[in-house]
Amino acid sequence: MLALTPVEAEALRLSLRVAFWSVAGSLPFAVLVALLLARIDFPGKSLLDAVVHLPLVLPPVVIGYVLLIFLGRHGPLGEMLENVFGIVVAFRWTGAAIAAAIMAFPLMVRAIRLSIEGIDRGLEAAAGTLGAGHVWIFFTVTLPLAMPGVITGVLLSFARSLGEFGATITFVSNIPGETQTLPLAIYTFTQVPGGDAQALRLSVIAVLLSIAALIVSEIIARRAIWRVRGHDIKY
Amino acid sequence: MPFKRIFPAHRRQSTNLFVRCAFLALFLGVAPVAACAQDLIVFAAASLKDALDQNVVSFERDTGNKAAVSYAASSALAKQIENGAPADLFISADTDWMDYLAERKLINSVTRVNLLKNQLVLIAPAKNTIQVKIATNFPLAELLGGGRLAMADPRYVPAGKYGRAALQTLGVWDSVKNRIAPAENVRAALALVSRGEAPLGIVYRTDALADARVRIVGEFPPNTYPPIIYQAALTARSVHPEAANLLAFLSSAEGRAIFRKYGFQN
Repeated sequence: MLALTPVEAEALRLSLRVAFWSVAGSLPFAVLVALLLARIDFPGKSLLDAVVHLPLVLPPVVIGYVLLIFLGRHGPLGEMLENVFGIVVAFRWTGAAIAAAIMAFPLMVRAIRLSIEGIDRGLEAAAGTLGAGHVWIFFTVTLPLAMPGVITGVLLSFARSLGEFGATITFVSNIPGETQTLPLAIYTFTQVPGGDAQALRLSVIAVLLSIAALIVSEIIARRAIWRVRGHDIKY
Repeated sequence: MPFKRIFPAHRRQSTNLFVRCAFLALFLGVAPVAACAQDLIVFAAASLKDALDQNVVSFERDTGNKAAVSYAASSALAKQIENGAPADLFISADTDWMDYLAERKLINSVTRVNLLKNQLVLIAPAKNTIQVKIATNFPLAELLGGGRLAMADPRYVPAGKYGRAALQTLGVWDSVKNRIAPAENVRAALALVSRGEAPLGIVYRTDALADARVRIVGEFPPNTYPPIIYQAALTARSVHPEAANLLAFLSSAEGRAIFRKYGFQN
């Protein structure tokens, strides 16, 4: 009853793998974009902000379709990747990771940006007067102070990647073992006659996983806040 | 409550009038919509898209009644009907899914009819000029190269089930079962080949005819798969008076002629 069937275990393993790489791959970009949006004013800033938030408001199918057009085997980027680097993302878990990364990107950027905006710039200025360069300040002052936001962003986007469905199924199809993540497996079981029990089991697993991710996110974020500020966020 | 502050006495009359007019406009706007009769709702297998669209247009022209059609895999539609979707007419691409609903008393069995037939073909993107003789143990795995075989999901979508049956009869299923790109419905499989994402695909003959960017490279011998029979029936909960007329229209000479134009057989 509690043991997972091979199909379920495979879907779970694939989901975790895709979500992990989606977060790991997009983290550096998210930090960069968040820094840009939080600190620098430039022409076109609102446009960048809007583009970053597009995956939050566009139907996921649209994102998946756009990915298919550009990164499919005959798409401009896809052909280049295949001919130059030998990388194919169509119908592979790497494609699923890219789809999940794009869908979760706005969440990560928002959380990190909020955190960076809340940093006391006087601390950075003080570090500057003591002789630190910009990059050094970023890694030793800004980033550690922004850590609660970064952690929240990472875990939020991890949970979002776990649940990504529309973009994944449109872009990389529903291939067991390769792209059939947890949500796709649940969907498949709802279509198979007599598969409702398995769909329910997987749904329970998905819910537990998401709750666990969110609780861990909350705990780690509060501990990070404690370390950074010496006190809890309440006051 | 700050009612008196938001709507001070000297403003209240005009605000009141405005609010009343707004409500009136709302009801006037909503009333015609509510007064309209419900459209007929048809749930139809994805492969019927172009042919049934035209049939519905002809039906509307002849009788003045509109129908809204939802196209998806017969499996998805059957599951939706099972969960209470308000369809009046269901057209399935195989008998299994119609049986599924009949067992659960969700269709009006008296109205169940065989509507159409179809055939299974192997397709490739249009610029690929190969010809494949489909016979026992034909080299499908080699023909795929590094790519995947696009077909509707062989676990539950009719087109996929027919395809798997054919490949099993021909003895090549084991060599390609891990190289499939399962699609949600047969039209999605068609799109994969059309776009060049998959080098080969298995779809209905009517789908291949509908897309100029694919060509038929081989035909599956009819004795390798169960006969493809589309069945139609009114749902048990349908109360729309025109539903039976639509079904009759689809079975009539005019309806059949339109289906034949798209490559279906009767």
